[in-house]
Amino acid sequence: MESDELIELVKLHGKSIYGFCCKLTGNRADADDLYQETFLKAVELRFKMDASRNPKSFLISIAVLLHKNHRRKLAWRQRIAPTAELGEAADRFASLASGATPEDALLSLELRTMIREAAHRLNDKLKLPLYMHYTADMTIEEIASVLRIPPGTVKSRLHKARENMRKVLEVDSL
Amino acid sequence: MKDADWDRLLRQSLASEAEPNEELNASLVRQLKERNEMKPKYKKRLSVGLLAAVLLVVLSVSAYAANQLFSAKQVAERLGDRMLAEAFESKDAVQINQSKASGDYRFTLHGLVSGAGLSEFSPSSEELSLDRMYAVVSIARQDGKPMPNTADDEYGLDPFFVSPLIKGQKPWQVNIFTMNGGYGETVVDGVTYRMIECDQVEIFADRGVYLAIASGTAFFSNNAFGYDEGTGEIYAKEDYSGASLLFDLPLDAAKANPAQAEAYLDALLNPSPAPDSGDNERSDDTVEDKGIALIQNVQAKMRAGESIGETIPESIQETTAADSGKIKYSYDGWNVTISPDEYFTEGQVGFSEQFSIGGKDDVYRALLFHKDENGVITGRIVILD
Repeated sequence: MESDELIELVKLHGKSIYGFCCKLTGNRADADDLYQETFLKAVELRFKMDASRNPKSFLISIAVLLHKNHRRKLAWRQRIAPTAELGEAADRFASLASGATPEDALLSLELRTMIREAAHRLNDKLKLPLYMHYTADMTIEEIASVLRIPPGTVKSRLHKARENMRKVLEVDSL
Repeated sequence: MKDADWDRLLRQSLASEAEPNEELNASLVRQLKERNEMKPKYKKRLSVGLLAAVLLVVLSVSAYAANQLFSAKQVAERLGDRMLAEAFESKDAVQINQSKASGDYRFTLHGLVSGAGLSEFSPSSEELSLDRMYAVVSIARQDGKPMPNTADDEYGLDPFFVSPLIKGQKPWQVNIFTMNGGYGETVVDGVTYRMIECDQVEIFADRGVYLAIASGTAFFSNNAFGYDEGTGEIYAKEDYSGASLLFDLPLDAAKANPAQAEAYLDALLNPSPAPDSGDNERSDDTVEDKGIALIQNVQAKMRAGESIGETIPESIQETTAADSGKIKYSYDGWNVTISPDEYFTEGQVGFSEQFSIGGKDDVYRALLFHKDENGVITGRIVILD
């Protein structure tokens, strides 16, 4: 695969990879870095990527690896002041803009924010398949191949993630 | 909330509205182009890869399968045993690289090595001098799905039994567990590698040694393997629900040592008791033997009407009735309650052939019971000659 094809991939899958990076990192600044690093790493690894493989899964798997590495090193730009969650703020405006009535929008915004926070609090084991499925729109099989786990395990982790979030939301909304 | 609603809500909430801004994408594209002009190192790796691919085509299919996997040396290295890794490369090591499929899995026997002090992790210093056998087996799924990682919940759900078995020996008696064995396991790229070790089996080279593998069990299972008592053959059962198969270990018959093998099996199948308890048993045995000899001697003398010793006159006392038809005799520390039926048959008069003996400082005393014509039972103590 040549760089030109990768540049094509930026156009094709940039949005879903970026969305996934946003969810994974929780803020735009880190998401920007992870997004760029993912594509640059893909240049190094492109000989591993053949036409038959799913390029989106390949890119997501690089993002997951980089994210894990950064977490492991604990050097992921440890900032003194907490970073502003610009992504979420932007999302809130987007939701408000598309809402039917102000009340509906507010209610749904509150619920969605709770869901996002509950998802963000999950551990990586559950969080990764959840974001891959709902944010990056990947199938169970694609997730299984990226995480190198059987499809059954992906299903059970997704199930566990949904159950955990449901419990958190039940407690939070009391 | 219904599952479908919940699913939709999750999809709506977790879908990201965020998009990379144009500046970011432009910078990314610029960097991608720059990297492309830099002629990265991958081309070199690619050509090495191509060369390997060409070589692989030349090699046979089974060798291809084995080449994709780690070698026994690499597995030992991964398990942190450098000494053993070197041993797997030595001229004494046997490279096997044979693959067989059974059940859901494909098993590859990579190689084995035998000898003393090969591993950095020998069980204990005392056992350093003992010869051990090490072998590496890999397990992959036939459907191409990865084996669970050691950290996954699914790991170990389908257990495996990997053990050398010896032709002519009952496999449930002689296997990795009885031969002081154990194993280490690692999962790399969806393939499980297991390194087993146990007492050496080369001494059995002339008999024939198998490497048995079964899934669904961690121990030897009669469901997975059969044993023909007549021929000594061990075979994998075809109707077993999981995987079960045998590899013939290509051991050098010249290394067989029938005498050592016999001694090893003898020790394994007829374990001698620990030295301490053995001594105690022996001393108990001698006391018991002496007691039996004494009683038999006394009985013989009584039957012959000979004197067995000197009766203590004060000890001749009539027994008293005790509970439930029993009788009681007491004299100088002897307190005995007996059932007269066990000592005298109906109508029997005179001395009973039953008696008890007590000894102290090599002086033995016997307690005898006597019944007269009136049915009166007396007891007496005789100091034995």
